[in-house]
Amino acid sequence: MNVTVKSFATFREVMDRQLTLDIPEGSTIRTLLAELNGRYNGLNELMFATMDTLKDFVNILKNGRNIHFLAGLDTPLDDGDLVALFPPVAGG
Amino acid sequence: MSSDERFLRQIPLIGEEGQEKLKKARILIAGAGGLGSAIATYLAAAGVGYIRIVDVDIVENSNLNRQILYHEPDIGACKVEAAEKTIRALSHDVEVDAICRHIDEKTVRDLVRGTDLIIDGMDNFAARYILNSASLDEKIPFIHGAVNGFYGQVTVILPGITPCLRCIVPTPPTWERNPIIGVTCGVIGCIEATEAFKYLTGTGEILKNRLLLWDGLRGEAESLQIMRYPDCIDCGSSAIEQDVRRFRV
Repeated sequence: MNVTVKSFATFREVMDRQLTLDIPEGSTIRTLLAELNGRYNGLNELMFATMDTLKDFVNILKNGRNIHFLAGLDTPLDDGDLVALFPPVAGG
Repeated sequence: MSSDERFLRQIPLIGEEGQEKLKKARILIAGAGGLGSAIATYLAAAGVGYIRIVDVDIVENSNLNRQILYHEPDIGACKVEAAEKTIRALSHDVEVDAICRHIDEKTVRDLVRGTDLIIDGMDNFAARYILNSASLDEKIPFIHGAVNGFYGQVTVILPGITPCLRCIVPTPPTWERNPIIGVTCGVIGCIEATEAFKYLTGTGEILKNRLLLWDGLRGEAESLQIMRYPDCIDCGSSAIEQDVRRFRV
């Protein structure tokens, strides 16, 4: 199945701003990120505090919904999903 | 000086009626920093009748790369007083309510009440969540904007209709004194002011249910669809039930 990933702000410094990946049925956000981490050096260090925990500024939207409110890293993915990776900025 | 002449170039876009709406509008600009500077300048210039501007800081030399309300002689002055002076010099018609106060859970209700629109010029998410809750409770729309370096984001929050700030960013990013260039504040502050202008005059389509992400390093902007979280602690069904109970009392 195909999933489109978009990256924003500082994530663009280590990965493409948009790509479509062909991933196996049953994939989750966790397996998608593992795939991305295999492709892009430095992404893992940028996103993860520990192996299982995202850094607090990492926000991931699946079709416009924050995965924090879904099943977190175990949020399942479906064909055609759009996953957005963005670090919200906070200054003013 | 004729006010009519001042707005000659924008009235074809919004009509006399739209200009009158701006004159009657009462807005809160929360924060008088880089974002607040751009927001206040352009909305005062556009003819907004009442601007309440709130900040507790004093002007520092390191503010002057981006906080265009202030000039070198203002260093050491209370920001909102210096801001009032600049805004009044731009337009004698605008009523400025300059309030030197922290925005916290105790002060926020009084600060938002009596306004039609809250505009975000804060520099941290803790204060933004307080404004988000007050916006929902008082049913006053909230234009969120934030910046870092060359990057920025904007969305318009309509209470009960669009996702609230907590739906989009459920946990606050750690506060840091981030690097910033003035023009990023200008870009994002101007997008917030544009949204305010459209909302107040009923022109165009506002940036609702979308999060605009600005990338100044690459000269790109993109808006992402965003959705409400039904059980959001701030705007979800549990919060609404509390709200209904409060209205019944």
